Amino acid sequence: MRFWLQRLGAAILLLLTVSALTFGAMNILGDPLFNILGPIAGDTENPENIALIEAAEAEYNLDKPLPVRWVIWLGDFVTGDFGVQFSEDGQPPVSDLIAERLPRTLTLLVMAQLMAVFISIPWALWSASKANRPVDRASTVLTFAMIALPNFALAVVLKYVFAIQLGWFPLAFTANDPFWSRMWQMVLPAITLAIPAAAVYQRLLRTDLITTLQEDFILTARSKGVSRNAVLFKHALRPSLFSFVTIFAINTGALIGGALIVENVFLIPGLGRAIVEAILREDFPVVLAIVMIVSAAFVILNLLVDIIYSLIDPRVRAA
Amino acid sequence: MRTRSTRRATKLGIAALVSFSLIAAACGGSDDDSSDSGDTETTEAADGSESTEGGDDSGDTETTEAEIQEDEITQDTVAPDDAVGDPVPGGTLRYGLEADVDGLNPTSSALSSPGLMMSQAVFDSLVAYDVDGNYVPYLAESVEPVDGDFSTWQLKLREGITFHDDTPVNAEAVQINFELQRADPLVGLAVRPYYPETEATTLIDDLTIQYNLLEPNAQFPKALTGQLGYLASPTWVAAATEDPTLNQQPVGSGPFVFDTRSADSVTRFVRNESWWNGSAFLDAIEFVPVTDPDSRSDLFLNGELQAMQTSNPATVEDLRSEESVQNIIDETGEETFLMINSTVPPFDDIRARQALTFATPKQQYLDLITLGVARGADQMFIPESKFYNPDVVQEADMPDEALALVAEYCAERGSEENTLLGTTTCSDGKINIEYQWSGPSVVGTQTADLMNQNWGNAGFNVTFDELPQDDQIQDAALGAFNVVLWRQFGAEDPVNDRVWLGCDNIGVISLNWPKVCDEARDTLMAQGAASTDEAERIGIYQELSANINAAYTYVFLNHTIWDNAFDENTLGVCDRVAPTGEQLLCVTNGRNWFDSIWINE
Amino acid sequence: MTDLTRSSGHDTDHPHLDDAAASLVPAIAGIESHEVPGDGTEVAAKRRVGWGFWVSVAWIAMVVLAAILAPWLPIDDPEVTQPTRVGERPPYPPGSEFWFGTDQLNRDMFSRTIWGARTSLTVGFVAIAFGMLVGGTLGMLAGYFRGKFDQGVSFVFVVLLSFPALVLAILITALLDRSLFTISVTLGILSVAPVGRVARASTISFADREFVLASRTLGAKNPRIIVRELLPNVVIPMSALALLGMAVAVVAEGGLAFLGLSVEKGSTWGKLILNGASSSRDLQEAPWMSFAPIIVLFLTVLALNFAGDRLRDYFDVKEAAL
Repeated sequence: MRFWLQRLGAAILLLLTVSALTFGAMNILGDPLFNILGPIAGDTENPENIALIEAAEAEYNLDKPLPVRWVIWLGDFVTGDFGVQFSEDGQPPVSDLIAERLPRTLTLLVMAQLMAVFISIPWALWSASKANRPVDRASTVLTFAMIALPNFALAVVLKYVFAIQLGWFPLAFTANDPFWSRMWQMVLPAITLAIPAAAVYQRLLRTDLITTLQEDFILTARSKGVSRNAVLFKHALRPSLFSFVTIFAINTGALIGGALIVENVFLIPGLGRAIVEAILREDFPVVLAIVMIVSAAFVILNLLVDIIYSLIDPRVRAA
Repeated sequence: MRTRSTRRATKLGIAALVSFSLIAAACGGSDDDSSDSGDTETTEAADGSESTEGGDDSGDTETTEAEIQEDEITQDTVAPDDAVGDPVPGGTLRYGLEADVDGLNPTSSALSSPGLMMSQAVFDSLVAYDVDGNYVPYLAESVEPVDGDFSTWQLKLREGITFHDDTPVNAEAVQINFELQRADPLVGLAVRPYYPETEATTLIDDLTIQYNLLEPNAQFPKALTGQLGYLASPTWVAAATEDPTLNQQPVGSGPFVFDTRSADSVTRFVRNESWWNGSAFLDAIEFVPVTDPDSRSDLFLNGELQAMQTSNPATVEDLRSEESVQNIIDETGEETFLMINSTVPPFDDIRARQALTFATPKQQYLDLITLGVARGADQMFIPESKFYNPDVVQEADMPDEALALVAEYCAERGSEENTLLGTTTCSDGKINIEYQWSGPSVVGTQTADLMNQNWGNAGFNVTFDELPQDDQIQDAALGAFNVVLWRQFGAEDPVNDRVWLGCDNIGVISLNWPKVCDEARDTLMAQGAASTDEAERIGIYQELSANINAAYTYVFLNHTIWDNAFDENTLGVCDRVAPTGEQLLCVTNGRNWFDSIWINE
Repeated sequence: MTDLTRSSGHDTDHPHLDDAAASLVPAIAGIESHEVPGDGTEVAAKRRVGWGFWVSVAWIAMVVLAAILAPWLPIDDPEVTQPTRVGERPPYPPGSEFWFGTDQLNRDMFSRTIWGARTSLTVGFVAIAFGMLVGGTLGMLAGYFRGKFDQGVSFVFVVLLSFPALVLAILITALLDRSLFTISVTLGILSVAPVGRVARASTISFADREFVLASRTLGAKNPRIIVRELLPNVVIPMSALALLGMAVAVVAEGGLAFLGLSVEKGSTWGKLILNGASSSRDLQEAPWMSFAPIIVLFLTVLALNFAGDRLRDYFDVKEAAL
């Protein structure tokens, strides 16, 4: 129990640090007053503008020292008030933006992971059964290639082949289209994310399978006459899935980063695009909110992995 | 909780930011159809323009100005047969815009081209342009000078018109709109120089309002053809002050009523069944922002959009080669140019400015960046315009002359400081400058590379500064730049472009970006405003072009080419008629009106 | 993509996991991927790097050499618009005159790709060098001294790893500037944690060995032990990581460039790819503009990954220590 409390405490400390760093960076290196008021912030001659400047400072607590502002922001944040979007007319709340964009990114991630899993598991089984034969070696080279090609380059290639030359997919994502139309528009971006992930999963699973196949109980099963393939499916797969599940969870974190690029290439209005736009426009509340969400996701994923792993390996708990 | 005052301040602040960014029409990628392209719609920068066909790839037409209108539009228009028949009501038009729109409040957001397009569906303008460039009262019944004095104008509204929320359209509404515009920190910059502090407007009676200008302006009504003339419901505007999210839900008096705005800014308007000027034909319009020009034309050609706007040369070229597409081409709007800041070294010296001008690779720019689709510009008027001065030529592509001037400048003033870069003005015999543009933009980067290549060979050390659009506009407004890529001068009548050129428009925040104050120029512009004699005005503005050319603060590159494209079933965009029967203008600066459009099934 | 900078935020207690997380090869270190399964023998195959390794090294060497010698090679100036052909507008397809074709401004793509390598590889090199210097030192010290210092350093590593990497890079470059230096150092900072973890784990596993104990018994002080005994041993597995880390950094720079946020002047592979692909029309009509740098980038990253991988296998690099 203490172990878990420690873990939780570490996680919270981590999130606080991340938020502090981001908050500090944006406020020190950027100019919040300018982002709120525009060029007027620099016009200190005009008394009307001075009044506006002072009003903005009061409203956004800009006259207070940085750590105090951070604490205020933190208090708001944990109670669900993410602030408002500085750079949008009418300053709609940040939570609106998140609510609009997060589902798209999640859809993308879910699709990508599903595809990766469906590709990698059968492939790994097949590879393990053909271990070290030429086809297996070729497949190993292929996985290398799949991981080596950067996601933006892969996105360009896929876009060229499938959207432009073959015309199977549209060039743009249209938010207003019916559900299935939008899902179809997400397929190509999801494939872009899925390919490297599938390669990673395949490699890991294949090796685990091969190792498991060396265990004694496999020998026993084989000597009893169970076919090689049955052995693979029924006996080897399950124990190998443990590390698979854990790498799956960890890789989700990597995919979040990949989604950022992919969304920008395929012009999908998700969180990835939102944060790039927000950074360029120095829209602090949006940047902070998205960074926190993503970091929290990482942290939760890691915790989950810890949980899973501790269930498997009791040694871990005896920290 | 926010207090009312701070909320208003915030709203103004944010509106200021947005409006500012849109006023300026800063463009990194000038022909990049990204949300970078804004528009110069503010106050007296009313604009309208004559539709002009750019011709074939050579982009030249020789017809006279008045004739261009009819010929060119019908040339590009697919006239199916005469059996098309009369307009019928019905259908929804999906229109592809080049950018998203934040808010549609004409009193607080200086609107960009997409915003103005939508405004033209939901608001009526007090005054409109006819196809010959004359002003015609539209929502207003009349706009007349008082006793022949062009500094006092009376505007009389029509009886019995109400806004979509049943607020009456009366003189008080006009006054409220005017005062809000004037009070806006940024929009007001373009209004305030021309009116007295108090009594700028006087209510004569319920339907009549008087404008009291500081100086005579014979073209005054033209100021009411654009954003400043869009009349918004005072009830709505007041509510929007309290709750800025209402900026997204405009209430005007126009042929269409705001319906919904959904995720990703698809904005829907439906027909106004009690419009004062008859009835529009379309049941509804859906405005769909698609920032990527290729995606937009893709959707258009696939039938998902029935109309679209674009200023991207490659897209314009593609659309013009499609048989079934009706293209309404307009080149009378803005120009793209390099803008030079004359207040700080090195460009406070005219020789340095001349050198940069001579070093600019204008021909390569036209060939490689605008692909020969947009026409080269020498001044703010196209050759077909009556104000065109054939003697004014934009110098460029003269690197040897540039080198000579650089040598001269550096010998004399090379050890001064370039405050932007923190270096001396010259290093190793080359002038150090900073080139700014807004990005990230691929076309902007290409332009920068092209300029750098040539300027570098002609005596300059160029430092790049690619900034997000808002930052770039701020720097321009505050004068913190050496040379930037910019877009401006879209007014139909040059009187409304003076806001970018006059001494009155220089301040800490300056719409006269290069901060050039030239008394002679100011005098010319005042004369141009006051005169009613067309020949005299032509002479004045030709002289103005010469004056601008001689100041070497603008290196004109090209005229922006706008294309409003419609599919073969969407007809009637140019059939607008004023209540008094005049044929009205079809498109201006990339946008059109919607009351006469119908869909032929 | 799963790569070094995207390893989990785990500490050293999960050997399986960390290897898996960062690994491109079998989770169980030391055993090559071509074990023959099921026949019960447990002979660890003889460690060799293989001919693939040498092919990869050759490619890398060629690209690096071309990048270094670029100013002296008989290639066109990458920034100069070449004379255009009459009646034909650029970009021109690959041919005898331009091996990789030209771009929209009629610049020689072959030359631009080589010059792009200069920037991309420089960023990669500086980033991983920074990472190894800072991360390696911190990791080694943490692994040797343990205790509170180790906890502190490990926490820093975890924070860095929990930050979405690309977001951090974008944040810093957008807020500061986009000079070569800033970008390289930013990516370097991002590689501190993954490198540091390996250094730490290596150090921990070595610190218990007999030769260290022996040294200490003979009266050697800590600095001497660290430098004379541990460093030589730790450096070897870390250098294996250098190639992998460089691949990651090159790709990261490409990602930044693709978002339009890399260096402002000059070409990098990512910028070239973006230039060719940002417009669908360009991509359709002149695919060589992005495919040429894509292929070169791909082969280089593949070579770096493969070579680094074989080295890691060869040196039996442990990511974690029990």
